[in-house]
Amino acid sequence: MTGAYVWIAILGITLATVLTRAGVHLAGRRLQVPPNIEALLRFAPACALAAIIAPDLVYFDGALDLSAANPRLLGGLAAVIFFAATRSMIATVSGGMAVFWLVRAWLGL
Amino acid sequence: MPETSVIPPGAVTPRDAFRRGVRELLPATPGIFAWGLVTGVAMVKSGLGVFEATALSLIAYAGSAQLAALPLMAAFAPIWLVTLTAVVVNLRFVVYSVITRPHFAHLPARQRAVLGFLVGDIMFARFSALIENEPEYPHRVAYYFGGASANWVIWQISSIVGIFAATTIPTSWGLELAGTLTLVALLVPLCRQRPVLAGALVAAATSIAAHDLPLRLGLLLAIVLGVVTAVAIDRRGVA
Repeated sequence: MTGAYVWIAILGITLATVLTRAGVHLAGRRLQVPPNIEALLRFAPACALAAIIAPDLVYFDGALDLSAANPRLLGGLAAVIFFAATRSMIATVSGGMAVFWLVRAWLGL
Repeated sequence: MPETSVIPPGAVTPRDAFRRGVRELLPATPGIFAWGLVTGVAMVKSGLGVFEATALSLIAYAGSAQLAALPLMAAFAPIWLVTLTAVVVNLRFVVYSVITRPHFAHLPARQRAVLGFLVGDIMFARFSALIENEPEYPHRVAYYFGGASANWVIWQISSIVGIFAATTIPTSWGLELAGTLTLVALLVPLCRQRPVLAGALVAAATSIAAHDLPLRLGLLLAIVLGVVTAVAIDRRGVA
């Protein structure tokens, strides 16, 4: 995968990024967001995080797996517990990863 | 940056705010690094040249959009489809920038563009926590710029390491989970309020159910339904 096609595709992806991340900031006063919309968007960060996280935890090897034999799901649940106990991001990530790897090793995956 | 008044001793300076932004981003380093590494490896494994992959990482800086575009590029899909896919995967950043916009509105266009371009899920979550918990905090732009720059540097280093070490890093380790768990640590403290918790649960369920929608549209649908739920519960609580 090389040549002109790749470079044009890279430009397309860059355009998409600039448009979605900086577009609103550059629109200036031409773009008016109603205050009630702005008020309801305060819930957006948590919803976006949950929407990104959930599929990453319940899909294992490309299939939906809500069982106790899903190491990613167990790692995620462990991370929640580690966070509640320590309030530390490092402890959350390392604890969750440790459980994930242990469960995988235990299951022989 | 123009200073209109003399800073009293002990007050927060822009430099302090920048450093605080960096400091509060640093605990996310393992997660960002693992994610960047995996993205770098994935780019090379799907057939992108080392030079092209590095350019894509440096110019586009678009983790999930890069990953979504890769299989399309490998199949030589039309450019408009590659671009559209990247737009849709990135749509949540439009929501983020509507929230950050009032805080950047006083700046010149070029600075607004740079700040907007540097947004990421982690720094956005940190920034929205700051404006929620400390609405009077001065120099919040410097705070944001500090954390977002640190995120950019960590991401680029890890991504380029991944690109150059693609053949030696096994994809079977499941390292990318560290990125997801970093987001868990950002999400949990937000869920102390009931409307937020309800919204997050609905968003999670929707995102799982709509996982197979094309262009990762399920992500956007999940955010919309989650926000609607949170608002509904919030209003009922007030009434």
